[in-house]
Amino acid sequence: MLRDIRNHKIQFISIFLMAFLGVYVFVGFGAESFGFEETANQYYGETNLADGWIYTSNLDDDFVDKVNNLSLTKDSERQLAVNSIADFDNDPDITLHFLEDDDISQFYLVKGEEFNLSDGDGVWLDTRFAEAKNLSVGDNISFTFEGITIEKEIKGLGYSPEHLYQTSDSSMIPDYTKMGFAYLSYKAFPLSDVPYNVLLVKYDGNSSAYEKQLDDDLTRDYSTFMPRAQHPSYAEFQDETEQHQMMTDVIPVIFIVIAMLTLLTTMTRIINNQRTQIGILKALGFKNRTIMFHYISYGFWMVLAGSILGLILGPLTLPPIMFDEMADLYSIPYWLTGFNISFIIVTVLMVVLAALISYFACRNIVNESPSSAIRPKVPKVSTSGFLEKLGLWKKFSFNVRWNYRDAKRNKFRALMSIFGVLACTLIIVASFGCMDGFDEMKEWSYEDINHYSSKLVLEDNVTSSQIDYIVDDVDGEKLMESAIEIKSDDVKKSGVVTVLDDNDLYTPTDDEKNPLEISESEVSLSKKMAQLLDVKEGDTVKWHIMGSDKWVNTTVDKIHSDPTSQGIIISKEKLDDLGLNYTTTSVISSNDVYENYTGVKTVFSMDSLTDSWDDMMESSMTVIYLLAGFASLLSVIVLYNLGLLSFTEIKREFATLKVLGFKSSQLRKLLLTQNLWFTTIGFVIGVPLGREVLQYLWGTMGDSFYLNAHISLKTLIITFLITYVISILVNLMFSGKIKKLNMVESLKDNE
Amino acid sequence: MSTLIEFKDVVKEYKSGDHVLRAMDNVNFTIDEGEFVVILGPSGAGKSTLLNLLGGLDSTTSGQIIVNGEHVENFNDNELTKYRAKNVGFIFQFYNLIPNLTAIENVELMKDIVDVNIDGNAVLDSVGLTGHANQFPAQLSGGEQQRVSIARAVAKQPAMLLCDEPTGALDSKTGVLILNLLQEMSNNKNTTVIIVTHNAILAEAADKVIRIKNGQIEDITINEHPKKVDELEW
Repeated sequence: MLRDIRNHKIQFISIFLMAFLGVYVFVGFGAESFGFEETANQYYGETNLADGWIYTSNLDDDFVDKVNNLSLTKDSERQLAVNSIADFDNDPDITLHFLEDDDISQFYLVKGEEFNLSDGDGVWLDTRFAEAKNLSVGDNISFTFEGITIEKEIKGLGYSPEHLYQTSDSSMIPDYTKMGFAYLSYKAFPLSDVPYNVLLVKYDGNSSAYEKQLDDDLTRDYSTFMPRAQHPSYAEFQDETEQHQMMTDVIPVIFIVIAMLTLLTTMTRIINNQRTQIGILKALGFKNRTIMFHYISYGFWMVLAGSILGLILGPLTLPPIMFDEMADLYSIPYWLTGFNISFIIVTVLMVVLAALISYFACRNIVNESPSSAIRPKVPKVSTSGFLEKLGLWKKFSFNVRWNYRDAKRNKFRALMSIFGVLACTLIIVASFGCMDGFDEMKEWSYEDINHYSSKLVLEDNVTSSQIDYIVDDVDGEKLMESAIEIKSDDVKKSGVVTVLDDNDLYTPTDDEKNPLEISESEVSLSKKMAQLLDVKEGDTVKWHIMGSDKWVNTTVDKIHSDPTSQGIIISKEKLDDLGLNYTTTSVISSNDVYENYTGVKTVFSMDSLTDSWDDMMESSMTVIYLLAGFASLLSVIVLYNLGLLSFTEIKREFATLKVLGFKSSQLRKLLLTQNLWFTTIGFVIGVPLGREVLQYLWGTMGDSFYLNAHISLKTLIITFLITYVISILVNLMFSGKIKKLNMVESLKDNE
Repeated sequence: MSTLIEFKDVVKEYKSGDHVLRAMDNVNFTIDEGEFVVILGPSGAGKSTLLNLLGGLDSTTSGQIIVNGEHVENFNDNELTKYRAKNVGFIFQFYNLIPNLTAIENVELMKDIVDVNIDGNAVLDSVGLTGHANQFPAQLSGGEQQRVSIARAVAKQPAMLLCDEPTGALDSKTGVLILNLLQEMSNNKNTTVIIVTHNAILAEAADKVIRIKNGQIEDITINEHPKKVDELEW
């Protein structure tokens, strides 16, 4: 047994590696993506995250009673959530939560004392913000909101399930020096009457059922109901989870399938190559059972060892790499490595399949009589096919004829090689295509649509004369972008309304990224939103601006395309016609703005926006590089392994050719030709399939993203290079073998 | 007749660990152009070693092998490959045809290694395989396969035909036909044919018989009047 393994060292190593790599990638990425879900579930469960948030200005006892009386309501809790500025040089935005009770959406303490409702002097602060500002328990901190300043002692540091993902108006990606949150008791509020503005609710059933009950029984006596799915922090993390799942769902599955298929091919062939030896053992009088046991245990142990190592190392090594990336983006107290029963199923399947295939391959030989088993299998008869009948055939070189017939005679091996290359091409194309897509989105969004140099985000209470002054001073344009809810017959989604006021620096685009003219009287819906709502041009949608309960019906006149923002674009005039208020939310300018204006919350430069975008995509890049790396590694193993198998089979032929006077280089060319054929076929099929996979991935990326899959020339070239370099590299590994091919021995150990 | 091949004090040793096996021990002989030579010897006598050295498949430990005036023992791998392609036509016990190629393709294959125009059909006709050109080896009988193999070997018009037990895998009747063919090649076309075998009967048909034993030449006989292969008593 050990001697067998030594003799077939490389094949056993490759069996081991394939089993390992297949399981490792599958389980590793799975553990990461399921880990996201599990982390969220456990964290949200532990902190009892609210199921929904009801925002209204008249949150009196009467209203709370009404909500509590709804049959679906399980629990509710009032809060005042208010934006404040903490007393630091960079004026960080801190969301203060004054709690009436602390059962729903609890503060997750990591340091200091537990949250105490009766403590009016303390504050429980965002630990990431504290870290960034070097604050610790016992320090004092003061906040200013609505003209009031309060100073409190930090009693605890921790996390909040409502602030897993934090961005502020001044920063598109989390920057903990600029923002944070704090939890306080209602007693900490300077007035005795706390003007609560949000009611956290836990309820039974789904959000739409609950919302219907709210609508029916409360006759919409509130401004906005926000179910979990629309909560920014919850939704962002959900999107991230989906983004990871999209990449880790499809590709590792392809991975494991290739690993399994090659594994099975290899094992069958190893056993078939042992045919004569099995025959001898039989002739010597070994029992079938003994022989079978020997040969099944053969690959079995390798597969078992490889699979189990993959099962253990996958979750141990891959998720931490990813979680490290994610930790900057999300404030979460812990990351769990996920587990799914599919991990075990796949591992067991791998091992069982390996054992089964060995069993059948072995049984076929063992069941033959020793006298026939001892002889090599009769080679398959080549037949002349249609290609040979063409006159053209005679013009083909020996190289072409030999390879064509060899592939024809070993269809399975040929198919496996093609499939191996195909899958690797596909993974690499899809992975790098993702990268292209991110770049494309960036360019589309920040060059074609938004082509200003600066964007000044205005404060809510800014006056129109202030706005006019700013517009005049920076030579800017006014823009309104507000969150909306939008409904078709049975689907409801959140999105953005963009209101244009003769803008030159903001250009809506069509699906081809060309400028799209939307006239004053028209309403345009984004393509992704149209798909989500299942509406087309001419249909009617119903929508309202968040914070107002005035719903309007509009006909979709046009469909525009936007990669990152989904919703409605209309003109200021049309908005007025609909009876909605126009509020300028930002001023955009083609100049760089460095001045501080009153009424301006933040100034974004185009550079900072694109930088933020790059940062956001960084974690996905890690996944992409990992996947592309593993795909290349796998294709090396697959191709080398199949090459090795075919090499053992054609060794005798090659030895003959060498004896006859063929040069080693001619023989190498023979092998290379075949490799290149298979690589080319695999590549040609793999690229369009990769594009399909990519298209599927974009579709699952989250509601706010929209993109058509494109394969850039760069990706095509990279994929081409990787695939062909691997193919040629693997071929080179065999050139040494051809050179060393011992003609005398190869001719002697014959049939 | 001029000398085609000359072996001078040829020694071949195989090392395995500390043990040195001398498979060829001071061997001297010559073979003339157009001769029909039979090399005889029991198993392990060094027949195959001799054939491998002569065929350029292996190199000597010491001594000289001169073929057509060229010192084969000094050749490197590349030169050996060229030497095999140009001078040696191999005929194997198990035919060693390329299973992926038809009979005629197996013959015309030689175009890839030597600069000779080969008419596959004509060569196949000359070995009596008219009509089998487009069959694959697996569709041919043993004797037919060996004929293809001979056709392949002679197609490139080599200086010598090296035959390693050419009838070893054939029944005696087919074997006679194959040997007959080889003898005719030697007699009519002046091809040097060297047959390695342990079958002593064949000695009577040879122009020259070289007997080897334990790696040494035991005896070299020249038959002034060799018999025809089909006149031998099998």
